[in-house]
Amino acid sequence: MTTSSTALAIDFQNVVKRFGERTVLKGINLEVKRGEILFILGTSGTGKSVLLKTLVGLLRADEGNILIEGKDVAHLSEEDYLPIRRHCGMVFQHPALFDSMTVGQNIAFGLMKHERKTYEQALPRVRECLELVGLSGVEDRNANEISYGMQKRVSLARTLAVGPRILLFDEPTTGLDPITTRQINNLIRDLSRRLQTTALVVSHDMECALEIADRIIVLSEGQIVEQGDVEHILKSKVPLVVDFLAEAKASRGDA
Amino acid sequence: MNAAVTFVLDFSALTYRSLVAAVTPPYRLRDVIRQIDTVAVDSLLIIVFCVCAAAMVTILEASFHMKLLIQNDSMVPGFAAMLILRELGAVVMALLVTSRSGAGMAAEVGTMQVTEQIDAIKMLGLDPVRFIVAPRLIGCAIAGAILSLFANVICLLAAMGVSVIKLGYTAGTFSAMARPFISAQDLWFAVIKGTVFCAVIPLFSCFFGFRCQSGAEGVGMATTNAVVATSVAIIVLDFGLSFFFSTFY
Repeated sequence: MTTSSTALAIDFQNVVKRFGERTVLKGINLEVKRGEILFILGTSGTGKSVLLKTLVGLLRADEGNILIEGKDVAHLSEEDYLPIRRHCGMVFQHPALFDSMTVGQNIAFGLMKHERKTYEQALPRVRECLELVGLSGVEDRNANEISYGMQKRVSLARTLAVGPRILLFDEPTTGLDPITTRQINNLIRDLSRRLQTTALVVSHDMECALEIADRIIVLSEGQIVEQGDVEHILKSKVPLVVDFLAEAKASRGDA
Repeated sequence: MNAAVTFVLDFSALTYRSLVAAVTPPYRLRDVIRQIDTVAVDSLLIIVFCVCAAAMVTILEASFHMKLLIQNDSMVPGFAAMLILRELGAVVMALLVTSRSGAGMAAEVGTMQVTEQIDAIKMLGLDPVRFIVAPRLIGCAIAGAILSLFANVICLLAAMGVSVIKLGYTAGTFSAMARPFISAQDLWFAVIKGTVFCAVIPLFSCFFGFRCQSGAEGVGMATTNAVVATSVAIIVLDFGLSFFFSTFY
């Protein structure tokens, strides 16, 4: 099942990543189509975040190729990776805001550095991005004064400001209450659809994945043990997927 | 052995990239000025206090031992002036800046690393070496030159002060007796030493900050390692520069 390379946003080809003696990714093969929302599920320590970080060169693959929009990036130098990363916005597990700056300065940071704009010149785009994440009017507040959920949204707004074509979310709802979790998940879906970006979401949340994802892959011990659309996942007999589905069903029942 | 080689290679690579980023546009003038302000202004008081104390101890000890050996302390002004300009002023200043600003820099960069702020900078398509290390490198080097000049002058004045109060010299005789032993060249060498020593501080601080492991312990470890490595580097560089400058005397 090979898709034409022009339709692919991301293509992992037999990617291996090791930390010392431990092999975290064991020959990952994965194609992600443009505009697709792909959820990467798995228990802790199975290499989900490593997979995202390997994609954008924050960690380097030991073997294999990684193609982003047809270009092999796995062997690029740090300097050559910089323009690639600009088109792959990433929302981290931590909000990772620059805590000495205001919300507005955080969002404007990339624009000011890349496009040599002053803060005043970048302000309309800052407000536009804040509106996209439902946080109008907070640009003058200090980044560490706002709630954790708001910080996560500001982090997303900062990522959106530079106009990425691929959005990567590393456990975007970790540490958030159920209501904010739902808001963030809806935001991921709505923004990906509206901005026509490809989205890769690392998560533990099967319930959310079933609701939002075009496709889901399940990782276990550095290997993909199941992948497919929601219907396929719902019928899966893979024990780990069955456990995830049971957990999702139980939490729906609790709710 | 492998770890030591990797350490040297990684540090050399960071130094090279930082120097290239420091001398090539775009220049981050505002960030550089902020660093000069942070390093020079924040360290000024502690430097004044410590170099004065060091000068006083030097003068009193030199006087005591000279009286024991040659039964007078007439060489004290010359000896003190040479010691201060060639060694004491720049080294004490740099070690103080290391503990004052270098530690803070390592903790700041380490915290940025563990909270993924460094990765966030990379993901905006920006080079953290250019944005974090280069302005600190230029700022610290300039601050080092200024502080070295300042520390040496203050140190000499303190030495003169304690000689007047405790050893019975007048300011005029102290200057006259010190003058034949020192020249403007000594002051320039002190400024060069201060510049080099302080340029090393952000390199080690950022190097260990970038390698910081997660958690409070990781940040503490990065800070400690940065301060220790910088202090050792300053002592080693002092030997190298003193040896090199000795060819000019």
